[in-house]
Amino acid sequence: MASKYLTGTGSESKQLATWYFTFAAILFGAQLLFGLVAAIQYVMPGFLYEILDFSIARMLHINALVVWMVFAMFGSVYWLLPDETGIETIGIKIGKLLFWIFAAAIVVVVLVFLFVQVGKADATTIWLITEGREYIEAPRWADWGIVVVALGFVGNLFLTGMKGRQTGIVTVLMADMIAFAGLYLAGMFFTDNISVDQYWWWWVIHLWVEATWEVFVGAIAAYGLIKMIGAHRQVVEMWLWIEVAMLFGSGILGLGHHYFWIGTPEYWWEIGALFSALEPLPLVAMFVHVLYDWGKTQGSEEEKGNTHSVINNKPAFTWFVLNAFGNFLGAGVWGFFHTLPQINLYTHGTQFTSAHGHLAFFGAYATILIGMFYIAVQGTNGIKVMKNTKASIWAVSLITGGMMGMTVALTIAGYVQVIVSRAQMGATWAAYFDGQSGMWFTQAMDWRLIMGILIFTGFIILAKDLLTTGKNPVHER
Amino acid sequence: MANKSVWSDNRFWKRTATWVTGFASILLIWLTFDTSTQIAMGNDQDLQNKVTKRVPGPTVINYKITYEMSPKRGHEVPIIGGNDGKGNSLFQEKEKFFGRDDYSEKEARALLHLGKLGSQAKNCMDCHTLLGNGAYYAPDLTKAWLDPAWGPNGAMQALTGKNTKEEAMAEFLQHPDQYPTHARMMPNLGITAKEAKGLVAFLKHMSSIDTNGFPRNFGKIKGAVHGK
Amino acid sequence: MFEPFTDVVPSFFGWLNQGPLTLTIFLHTVIILPMIWIYFQEKKRLENEN
Repeated sequence: MASKYLTGTGSESKQLATWYFTFAAILFGAQLLFGLVAAIQYVMPGFLYEILDFSIARMLHINALVVWMVFAMFGSVYWLLPDETGIETIGIKIGKLLFWIFAAAIVVVVLVFLFVQVGKADATTIWLITEGREYIEAPRWADWGIVVVALGFVGNLFLTGMKGRQTGIVTVLMADMIAFAGLYLAGMFFTDNISVDQYWWWWVIHLWVEATWEVFVGAIAAYGLIKMIGAHRQVVEMWLWIEVAMLFGSGILGLGHHYFWIGTPEYWWEIGALFSALEPLPLVAMFVHVLYDWGKTQGSEEEKGNTHSVINNKPAFTWFVLNAFGNFLGAGVWGFFHTLPQINLYTHGTQFTSAHGHLAFFGAYATILIGMFYIAVQGTNGIKVMKNTKASIWAVSLITGGMMGMTVALTIAGYVQVIVSRAQMGATWAAYFDGQSGMWFTQAMDWRLIMGILIFTGFIILAKDLLTTGKNPVHER
Repeated sequence: MANKSVWSDNRFWKRTATWVTGFASILLIWLTFDTSTQIAMGNDQDLQNKVTKRVPGPTVINYKITYEMSPKRGHEVPIIGGNDGKGNSLFQEKEKFFGRDDYSEKEARALLHLGKLGSQAKNCMDCHTLLGNGAYYAPDLTKAWLDPAWGPNGAMQALTGKNTKEEAMAEFLQHPDQYPTHARMMPNLGITAKEAKGLVAFLKHMSSIDTNGFPRNFGKIKGAVHGK
Repeated sequence: MFEPFTDVVPSFFGWLNQGPLTLTIFLHTVIILPMIWIYFQEKKRLENEN
């Protein structure tokens, strides 16, 4: 069970949120560990060969990523619901039960991934061991478990949202979370046709991370601005609606940028190119919005003669600002780099994608969810103004610096692949390994590993800070 | 109160967001119906009737497959059973697959089914890319069937001691740890002979999918720096 | 004026895809245009409220 200082004060919904956050943080650590294993294997291919092969380490790396973020997202909603609706979350008992079911299922899936790894080419494997589809490898039984858990979660959100005060943030979250849960169904079937397989697979992956998750981040950022700097709700919610329009307007049909080369018709070149090219715009808007609201609120306080900072949670706000910038840089700029088909023809399936994936998942999601962890620490400890500690500054610097370094390293590796393996050599097996043996590529992989170690060190400090800062006497109570 | 601008009115933006989201979703669903009919798997009849499908039927494994420039499309396309000289498939020239070129629809479908299941059960996608999607630790398999390395002049047939492409591939898949091609080696995943045959059928079928010219120049360039 | 169709299977969207921009301009237009109608409706509503 969660230890004493991780339990909520007053609200059961917030207590449940801390459970979700705790489990999410543990999975975040697991994600980094398996990422390190995979990074070592690029440098030393014999490392754990036929014990914990790259495919398994990488599968655990990306699945832990998805699951910790989903846990932290559920936690965030349970955290903000009482604040937004003004009532205690309905169905919290079921919510708590579902948490334990979800957590237990995840543990079983991870153990099977670790110790069974692969199965025979039959339906039993798909049902019990792995579905073998990147990001959603969880076996079919777990899929159904996830559907049940997600339905319970969405049910609680809807019941609470409809009974309590229905703010713009809650309305957006309700619509967004039902789409988020419903889209998972698109990834739960088997077909012999790999083009059809990948068509629907992208419905889950893309419409999650480039549509529903982004809107979720918009809603959380809106909540955070009201909560942390006292931004004006009407202004924040207007921005939120504009962001929803822009994110969904570009993101839904931006799905087309995954349909360039998987057997789908040529018209997707055009749809995917132009709609996804617009995807960075709302991310610019979010960045402007966060900084603008900060400056505006601070300015109006100073006009009244108050010189103190309007931020009541420095570490969380640091992560929120990093989110605004990281989302734009990682998802926006790095995504735009290779979203046009004439470029994507050569970058598709190279480390370029990997560079974008790392910075986007980190910048758009990890940052804001870590920010939510800090908001929960502040709330459960009854802190009025939470300050940065040495540890929180070290953690954010090491993790962010490491992530930027890793992204640069992977981008350079991607250039080598594009130029040598793709453009020059024509994408064959031999071309692939010629690219992989290039000096730029191998050095980039060394740097990636070093950056990974920095990030992991940062994570240890972050975990320490999250566990201890609540009792630190520097904060104003 | 002075006239409030519509541009700063929450209700306007809420309705805009609802409209844009709803209509984009409807367009996506419409496009999905259109695309679904285009990427539905063909069958043996289509091949007999010389109908080009984006995703041909499983019996395409009975045919010779190449990847050639189509002047009309402006990129390379899979050519099935010979080229008419204008970048269209003739659906004539057969090619033996494990000694046979007369797989029935049912047999070929069963092989492909086994191979597709195998590709997921063995988690191919977390090292390789398929149609360019997956992990980047091992080569892309989209057109692996057409890779010169497995052809008569490539290294893999001699390495595995087999005389045909499909047998060399199947042998490699069963014992990848015995045939290292790079310091980074494929692990032994317990692939059986039957599963290997299915996987090779899956790879051959995948190479016949029209991927709009991805990957460009596959297998055509020997390279200037590393020219052989 | 019209480009010959190049894709494998003719379709409505394929036909709209006349060059690098035609299809996407069409789709963007049908998404954006009704916003004008929403704009004027809301403007009227705001005026009535005053």
